[in-house]
Amino acid sequence: METPYTDHLTLEDYEQVYEPAEDSFLLLDALEKDLEYLEQLQPHLCLEMGSGSGVIITALAKKLASCSLCLATDINPKACDATRRTAARNGARLDSIRCNLTDALRRQSVDLLLFNPPYVVTSDEELHTQKFDSHSESSTERNLVFSWAGGQDGRRVTDILLKQLDDILSPRGVLYLLLLRENKPEDIITHLEGLKFRAVKFMERRIPGEHLYILKVTRSSSSSSTS
Amino acid sequence: MKLSTYNFLTSMAIKGVKVGFPLKLTIIKKDVVESEFNPTFVERILPKLDWTAVYGAAQVAELTEDIPAVQPENIGENEVLLQKLHHLLFEIDVLEGQLECPETGRVFPITDGIPNMLLNEDEV
Repeated sequence: METPYTDHLTLEDYEQVYEPAEDSFLLLDALEKDLEYLEQLQPHLCLEMGSGSGVIITALAKKLASCSLCLATDINPKACDATRRTAARNGARLDSIRCNLTDALRRQSVDLLLFNPPYVVTSDEELHTQKFDSHSESSTERNLVFSWAGGQDGRRVTDILLKQLDDILSPRGVLYLLLLRENKPEDIITHLEGLKFRAVKFMERRIPGEHLYILKVTRSSSSSSTS
Repeated sequence: MKLSTYNFLTSMAIKGVKVGFPLKLTIIKKDVVESEFNPTFVERILPKLDWTAVYGAAQVAELTEDIPAVQPENIGENEVLLQKLHHLLFEIDVLEGQLECPETGRVFPITDGIPNMLLNEDEV
């Protein structure tokens, strides 16, 4: 899988949109590693929540162009725009939608879901000051903070996703979720088992100051096996 | 926003809304972006799509001569129709317009090709 061009994004963009970093590249590497599985799965609808610059979903859209529709959501309008531009720069076919998580999507429609959540452990106060509404122009600083501030255990947004996962994923759907050790991946795996999902640590990587994981999550009733 | 994407959007997240689908589409400005026709892909994606919303999109895009109101059987054998579906779903790009919740009338603008479906806290 080729890393998409990002030379159209400027420092000014990165003041408001998360700049691709080690975590983004780990998610890309995980998809690359699981490409055979994905090509077999033939996901009709792929979606990345919180797409930021759009590099991950763009790379995927290029790779799966012949079998998938790709969508990207973000609450930050600057990120929606950056994603649209990244897709255009790389000739990828995907649409950008401004919404919260997958709120605007029909139920159980997503076959392949990607999420690199705001995972940094912060105070909940820090997170609660980050409120978006659809009309106001959110400030530069707030846009960026929302891309990483995760509240208690860095899990506030991830926990909301887990609650909604059954409504989001199609019967054969799969989720690749990026986590930090501080997000307590083992806890999440156990929690998901209770929700009738099967989760495995698919990849992990230590980088200075962070230990990152990719969780691969499928329905435990799903016939397609997890490698 | 492609009309294939339109087929997946709902206003169900609004408090009190039951289905929120299909949204009422208005196109103010659109572009047509040619893309490679892959009949197998179109055929494979069809079971995921809601035909009412496919036909609704065709009405707004003024392509009802091409798209029947009721989904015909054995579309896979009808390459002419698959090609027309390809054009409708993947080549028409809505740049400016709006989507409207069928139950509450809440309007979601489409600007620069991006639908803004974000709800305010008092709406959810």
